Amino acid sequence: MNLDTHTPIGAALALLPELVLTAWSLVVLLVVAWRHTTERDSQLAGWLSFVGVALSGVALWWLWSHDARSDGVPHMIALDEFRYASAALILGITGATTLLSIRYLTRQRLLAPEYHCLVLFAAVGMLLMAAASDLIMVFLGLEVMSVSVYVLAGFDRFRRSSAEAALKYFLIGAFASGFLLYGIALIWGATGQTNLTLIAAQLTGAPTTLLLRLGLGMLLIGFAFKVSAVPFHMWAPDVYDGSPTPITGFMATGVKAAAFVALVRVLNEGFPSAKELWQPIIGALAVATILFGNIVALAQDSLKRMLAYSSVAHAGYILVAVWAGTPFGSGAVLFYLASYCMATIGSFGMVAAVEHVGSRTVLIDDLEGLFEKRPWGSLSLAICLLSLLGFPATFGFVGKWYLIASALREGHWILPVATVIGSAISAGYYLPVVTAMTFKPERSVDAHRQVAFSRASKAIVAAVVGATILFGIWPTPVLDGALASARSLTNLVSGMAER
Amino acid sequence: MEQFFSPILAAIGYNRWILHVLLILPLVGAIGILVAPGSWARWFTLVVAGLEFFLALGLWFAFDPSNGGIQFESQVDWIRGWGVSYHIGIDGISLFMVLLATGMMPLLVWGSWHSIQVRRRGYYALLLALKSAMIGVFISLDLFLFYCFWELLLIPMYFLIGVWGSSNRLYAATKFVLYTFSGSLLMLVAIVAMVWTVGRATGTYSFSYDHLLANRDALAGQAPWLFTAFALAFAVKVPIFPFHTWLPDAHVEAPTAGSVDLAVILLKMGTYGFLRFAIPLFPAFALSPAVSAVFVVLAVTGILYAALVSMVQPDLKKLVAYSSVSHLGFVMLGIWGSTVQSVQGAIMVMIAHGVSTGCLFFLIGMLYDRRHTRLIADYGGIARVAPILTTAFVITAFASIGLPGLNGFIGEFLVLLGSYARFPVAVGIATIVIVFAAAYLLWAVQRVFFSPLVHEANRTLRDVDLRELAVLVPLVGSMIWMGVYPNPFLRRTEAASRRYIEMVSPHLPPLAHEAGVIRQEAAR
Repeated sequence: MNLDTHTPIGAALALLPELVLTAWSLVVLLVVAWRHTTERDSQLAGWLSFVGVALSGVALWWLWSHDARSDGVPHMIALDEFRYASAALILGITGATTLLSIRYLTRQRLLAPEYHCLVLFAAVGMLLMAAASDLIMVFLGLEVMSVSVYVLAGFDRFRRSSAEAALKYFLIGAFASGFLLYGIALIWGATGQTNLTLIAAQLTGAPTTLLLRLGLGMLLIGFAFKVSAVPFHMWAPDVYDGSPTPITGFMATGVKAAAFVALVRVLNEGFPSAKELWQPIIGALAVATILFGNIVALAQDSLKRMLAYSSVAHAGYILVAVWAGTPFGSGAVLFYLASYCMATIGSFGMVAAVEHVGSRTVLIDDLEGLFEKRPWGSLSLAICLLSLLGFPATFGFVGKWYLIASALREGHWILPVATVIGSAISAGYYLPVVTAMTFKPERSVDAHRQVAFSRASKAIVAAVVGATILFGIWPTPVLDGALASARSLTNLVSGMAER
Repeated sequence: MEQFFSPILAAIGYNRWILHVLLILPLVGAIGILVAPGSWARWFTLVVAGLEFFLALGLWFAFDPSNGGIQFESQVDWIRGWGVSYHIGIDGISLFMVLLATGMMPLLVWGSWHSIQVRRRGYYALLLALKSAMIGVFISLDLFLFYCFWELLLIPMYFLIGVWGSSNRLYAATKFVLYTFSGSLLMLVAIVAMVWTVGRATGTYSFSYDHLLANRDALAGQAPWLFTAFALAFAVKVPIFPFHTWLPDAHVEAPTAGSVDLAVILLKMGTYGFLRFAIPLFPAFALSPAVSAVFVVLAVTGILYAALVSMVQPDLKKLVAYSSVSHLGFVMLGIWGSTVQSVQGAIMVMIAHGVSTGCLFFLIGMLYDRRHTRLIADYGGIARVAPILTTAFVITAFASIGLPGLNGFIGEFLVLLGSYARFPVAVGIATIVIVFAAAYLLWAVQRVFFSPLVHEANRTLRDVDLRELAVLVPLVGSMIWMGVYPNPFLRRTEAASRRYIEMVSPHLPPLAHEAGVIRQEAAR
């Protein structure tokens, strides 16, 4: 099915998943306006949002199964498998976050159903970022997502750290948006275009100007803030630590995934001929992020903070695949994002269940002896952490091979070696969590009495853990899917033909 | 016997299914234990272990000793996009590793029958899962598969040490995993780099060992760092001096079965890796004079250093742990000796060390179960109260020292004989060190079993019971069997060793007498 995105109908069809989700979130907002007092109302809003995510998923499936392609050069909206695959990932993350939140909000007495609308709005922004084939659309998506997440970060009104997180995130995020926007403006100045495909066409064979260098640099800084690459990561630990736990998970997965897929598309569709300009930057960011994130994570006592730094480190791993700038590398980004997001959602789902009501953050020591009381939960957390560590028979292991292979294919070995050194270091902070849960005795008799799992979060954690093991043993379908999606990225410049 | 068994095995298609079954059965058993009632755990594990051993016995007869290549081979696509396949098979080298791993299984269960009192279900499930991963390491002929098993093995071992170990178990478990995990990560990069390099040269991207081996010339340019990455992973596992520091900790803190598994199988994985992967894939670099010199010097240093350190250990288990480092030094020397005898000797030392050191750990475990101490100073005069235990210990210690007529002698002798042509000085030093080995073990035996009985608590020490006898008799018996009649073992390793030497020989400086042999064979 070919869609002409220049016509209103074509554009509306191309944006169907986003439109469905927007419309549904407005409906939820209306419902919430009338019913926002009791626990039941909050839960209703949660389940309603989940339905919205599912509906949007149906729309996405419709586009994907009809093999919707754009007529000629994509105009604003990309219609390719890379978008569909990333959108599916984002919707999955959103659905999981919604389900994990329902019980959490009730427990933490955060009875404000707007929460769920904000999650949906953020998801709309993420979907737009994944779909953007124009720098303006990238910026729009980024802002829609960011503004919603700023609010969500500060949602826990009873905690100072949450307010601090929101303010920090907002100030630094605004800066990052400024950089991004300025970069877009400079690139427009250099090429006269904001559409990625047209930028690529303009740049082919043209000499690189200072304007382009500056523009690309600022663009990369903007993205580096969003994916929390070192040295633009300073906000991440405080924000991750202060935000409500499901939102931390949402930021570590959804925001990161959206920013990464947008980055991959921008670099591969827009700037393939400027590869020698951005590759060194990405490479340097990757090495710094991997080493710094992993080393600092070693020193954390707080589980959430440790996971925050580990998510910084994982951004570094993914940058290794971004660096490759090949279809194989883009496939690796998608694949690794999927494995990373699953393991991270599982981990944060467990953290949310363990977290004490209205308490300070969860410490690693708080998990001591959890295995005795909650064997399956501890096992799930252990599997998620092992997947993040890259242990065989988990999804993360195959993902790490893919990343390493994507850089080694280009005949480069510094980044792969940095990746494995990072993984070796990361064993030093993932294993103590497992150790605390299994080897150490409980602190006190009722240390884990408050652990509470709703049926929904049990289902989510079980699903991600199951998928983590299944795809660790049988990754072929995901691998083929990721590679096929990555190949669909429009690439006008010759010489970049896939190997 | 073989004429009798071989047709039966052929009739049931043994060659086709045996390796799959050996690989899967323990894992299925582990899952079975987790779902079955806790009180069944021990018996269930014993049945699974016995079945596994019984099935593996057939390998002894079905294996064709005249064939130096891979037998029982099968290959199924796994991740087609990357060229990864489920490719398994064994040759004369891995045959004995698989037999050791499966043969120890029932003994391990017997050995931990009473000593494990808490969380039995988890313990036995992990013991079985560990076995699956171990067998996987030795039968994998695909480097992706190999790496998976290589790493997977750490998890059960980590928990076995960490949950059921002794007082300092947390430290030991973490150190064990961190050392071996970080050691092998560079191997991951090397494996991927190797596949791409060969793939670019030949057009076929495959993780299959055969494919990489056939096209190893394409790797020559990158051999130095690829070999280093492999060698690091294997050297930590062997462990070669100076990467050995995790071993005494892990051995001492692990429960008896964990120590036995470490000694019997885990330590062989490193030397097996050198024999199977690191050297055949990069022979020109690995066997170049400079690299050989490094490894031979490290091997001899390890033999000497570990023997000296053993002498001053107050802890019996630590003493035996260090003696392992010393024994593995002999294996390394034999591998780099690169003659058929020395390689065969290395394999024999691997088997012999597995049996005798495994048995020593069982014996120490039995002593510990009775007195809850491992310090040599707490014992003395045990020979008077526990004669059977003492007899077993003395025989095993002699085997470990390398007394002629017991299994340790054959391997060490072959290693020294085969390596002499290439490294006369190193062999000279290693031969002298054997005296130290005799010294530390005999001194320990003397202090534990024969010195005056000073501690009252030792006066009531029980001798071995039937269950423990069932563990000891097969081990001691096989020590004597291998020492008196090693021919069946040598016959099965000979073709594989010969093939290995043929694989690497184009890159070896020929020896004077060997050149003659090769010429004779060519004429034949």
